[in-house]
Amino acid sequence: MTILSGQPQISPAPRAETELAVQGVWRVVVLNDPVNLMSYVVMVFKKVFGFDESTARQKMLEVHEQGRSIVWSGLREKAEAYVFTLHQWHLTAVLEPDHEAH
Amino acid sequence: MKRIEVKLALPVVAPLLDVIKELADSLRKNLAAPIALTDLGDEFHDTWVDELLNTQNEEVRMLLALFDDEFFREGVVAFDENNAEIIVRACAAVRLRLREKFLKPLGDELLESGDVDMMSLDERLRKAFMCYLFLATIQELIIQHLDESILGS
Repeated sequence: MTILSGQPQISPAPRAETELAVQGVWRVVVLNDPVNLMSYVVMVFKKVFGFDESTARQKMLEVHEQGRSIVWSGLREKAEAYVFTLHQWHLTAVLEPDHEAH
Repeated sequence: MKRIEVKLALPVVAPLLDVIKELADSLRKNLAAPIALTDLGDEFHDTWVDELLNTQNEEVRMLLALFDDEFFREGVVAFDENNAEIIVRACAAVRLRLREKFLKPLGDELLESGDVDMMSLDERLRKAFMCYLFLATIQELIIQHLDESILGS
């Protein structure tokens, strides 16, 4: 991730990078629940994030086995939109700041 | 358009519809999966809840509408690309509510494994758990046969 430095910039940074530097990077984290089917969670990940079958399955297993999985990171506004969409699919998701990217 | 028709055993399914209707009422003002974000502003939070409730209520309404007069005559429900996504989500909402309202005594581990001795349950719990399995079966059928319809929409 690009972080604003003290160095003067010759050309303006792309908007998204500037916003990331100002707002920070946010993670979308899906939490486990004992109800939703594995096949359902895989389908939702494919649908919402465009994951292929293998990535969706890996993320689902992380949720199942570790209780949570980071499924996306980036701008806060877009992260909120993903959390909202996941709630429309009745999955529990939270946002957390990605301190490693700062 | 891909379409699946499922013939259901009326004597088995009809009693489960009462459970689904009861849960539909309790879902009217409660999200199946409550918002877990703590730092949303109040106004933003309320807007989210309203929008999510509207969607959820429409989904559950469509699920109940499957079991119409024709269903009680023929015992058949049909799924296609027009209703697959909505029904699969409605099933998720009702299953989550079933856990909240009825199935907590079973414990999450048992619920997740599905390894439950039905005969050991009292009638109310057994009916709730059968409803839970029934809705999961609908979800599995839709995901197996109409996954492409949902992903493509």
